Amino acid sequence: MGHLRKEINVKQIQYKLTLCDGPTCVHNQSKQLRDALESEIDKAGIRKSVSIHLSGCLGMCKQGPILIVNPGYTMYGNVKPADVSEIVQSHLVSGKPVVRLIIREDHLYNRFFRIFGDADFFGKQMRIALRNCGIIDPENIDDYLSLRGYEALAKVLTDMSPEAVIAEVKKSGLRGRGGAGFPTGLKWELTAREKSSEKYVICNADEGDPGAFMDRGSIEGDPHTILEGMIIGGYAIGSRNGIIYIRAEYPLAIKRLEKAIAEARQHGFLGEHIFGTDFSFDIEIRLGAGAFVCGEETALIHSIEGVRGMPRPRPPYPSVSGLFGKPTLINNVETWANIPVIILDGGDWFSSIGTKTSKGTKVFALAGKVLNTGLVEVPMGTTLRQIVYDIGGGIPNNKKLKAIQTGGPSGGCLPADYLDTEIDYESLAKAGSIMGSGGMIVIDEDTCMVSLAKFFLEFTQDESCGKCTPCREGTKRMLEILTRITEGKGRTGDIEKLERLGQMIKSASLCGLGQSAPNPVLSTIKNFREEYEEHIEHKKCRAGQCSALLSYQINEKCVGCGACKRVCPVGAIEGIRKEKHRILPDKCIRCGQCYQACKFEAITKA
Amino acid sequence: MVTPLEMIRKKRAEAVNRIISKGYLSTKRVYVGMATCEIAAGSKEVMQVFRQAIANGLTDVYLSQKGCAGRCNLEPTVEVVEEGHIPVKYGRVTPERAREIIERHLKKGEIISEWVI
Repeated sequence: MGHLRKEINVKQIQYKLTLCDGPTCVHNQSKQLRDALESEIDKAGIRKSVSIHLSGCLGMCKQGPILIVNPGYTMYGNVKPADVSEIVQSHLVSGKPVVRLIIREDHLYNRFFRIFGDADFFGKQMRIALRNCGIIDPENIDDYLSLRGYEALAKVLTDMSPEAVIAEVKKSGLRGRGGAGFPTGLKWELTAREKSSEKYVICNADEGDPGAFMDRGSIEGDPHTILEGMIIGGYAIGSRNGIIYIRAEYPLAIKRLEKAIAEARQHGFLGEHIFGTDFSFDIEIRLGAGAFVCGEETALIHSIEGVRGMPRPRPPYPSVSGLFGKPTLINNVETWANIPVIILDGGDWFSSIGTKTSKGTKVFALAGKVLNTGLVEVPMGTTLRQIVYDIGGGIPNNKKLKAIQTGGPSGGCLPADYLDTEIDYESLAKAGSIMGSGGMIVIDEDTCMVSLAKFFLEFTQDESCGKCTPCREGTKRMLEILTRITEGKGRTGDIEKLERLGQMIKSASLCGLGQSAPNPVLSTIKNFREEYEEHIEHKKCRAGQCSALLSYQINEKCVGCGACKRVCPVGAIEGIRKEKHRILPDKCIRCGQCYQACKFEAITKA
Repeated sequence: MVTPLEMIRKKRAEAVNRIISKGYLSTKRVYVGMATCEIAAGSKEVMQVFRQAIANGLTDVYLSQKGCAGRCNLEPTVEVVEEGHIPVKYGRVTPERAREIIERHLKKGEIISEWVI
């Protein structure tokens, strides 16, 4: 649709139509509908003033296909090709909406659609957790209230028992969005079952994957939804203490949370006797110093208790013995953000979105070599191809996609063959990666897979808490091997050694950090073994990224302008003006500045 | 006894009234992205331009901040929403562009198509 927009002058557009292109609607003939629309619009002679956009699933499959007309956000449901002529003539030509086809539903999800639905980047998304992000003023509780904020809490306190709340969450099929995908409703049930005078509810906002910012975006854009989710969680399990564990390096998110908590207290949504009932609950914020391992639940609990942030063996699980030895319900930011929607729009509706095993949507931080970087939320079951190409806009500079890294330093790299994988917890694990908390890095042909694996291992090696020797020492040794491979000093047998070490670390480490630390290395060996072999056997880096394996030479195209000589920081280029220059290999540090400075393509990289 | 649901409906109505009293029903509503990412890209300065314009007498505009919509490579973003019109979303807004948006779009109703997302 990007090309359409260029042909059409934005200023002439009077109406923007959005047609649902989700799988159910396609089945219900959305394609025929689109053809009918195009021909009716041409027939009416209003081609220039109307633009048509395709959206992803809008979550109203029972009434599909859906057609939205903007401005006005008129939503038509169950549209048949036979209705199209009437819609075009009455609404688009005469300005009178076709009342008999309009559906009026006030859902919590997809609020962003009113403003952003027509842009390709947004139109293919479905927003549940991020529903208010970019829509409301996060520092004003009135904005949240106006969009049915705290209504889910009120509903729960009016006519739902704690058991009914848990049943609704179980029915939704929601699974933990922190990465492991444990069924949320079951976790709630296990914690609720424990008999204890004191219980805790924790929000894990210790976001640490390099390049991930889902939780920050969510908190900074809509802090109240997380509070509301937590209060409902507290009611369901019988707790009165909530704690948000967040990194001190997110000052704005902390400020907005503090403001949100203060405003919620003023309105009586937090504190004693919430809504005048017998239920009391309050939330405090605990700041983490930014250790990756503290995202692991038992290490996080230790950190709140004031001891060193190290994991401990489970069981007992936090649901039985968590913070200060009390039953503790711990969920990730995105999981909490889904709760109010599940309560108001229903567990049945929520479970209608997604795949067989994974329900709802997932937020991803799309980054790397992709045109549109940013936060995206898509229904489970969306393919990697749709995310990278439809939403992400593809790879810049017509480069080839090499791999997609999901799950951050605990995840793996999927080669281009996996582009049509439908995303859910199981399919990603089967492909050799993980869902993780939602990092997604697009890698093009200019990235060296060995260097990439080294980058992630540097991170986990640095963040290993040191408790288990296999993780502490093993990651260090693996990093040494990877470093020597990228420096051209790799030896035969190094790949096998990496595999052996990796398997050992995975099986002998206590927590998720150690068990998953070798994943980036193992998955790149599995899918890109030939790149490792080239580095070791032929001392060659096909991406041209490992500088120690590069050599620069000046070819016949050189005119002797001297540009390279002037930029060389170590004086490794010699030559007389207007004659061919020469690079001295012994002095050259392979910084590549000459390569960039040359205007005659006279310097080659090999 | 008043139920929580009845209480929240009342609170919502009050909240809506407070938003309206701040000028929500103005002809044009302007939203400036103000999350960490947007601020790093320069949205504070952009916000300042709009605030200043209103202080200097620009009327019939409701100005609000918002969180990050997720469009990282086009930040800072600014939306101009007008009832009965298609919402306009501007990307990579600088203080200079903000001044032009005020002059051309807010005052004269001209959409600056080159900057539209």
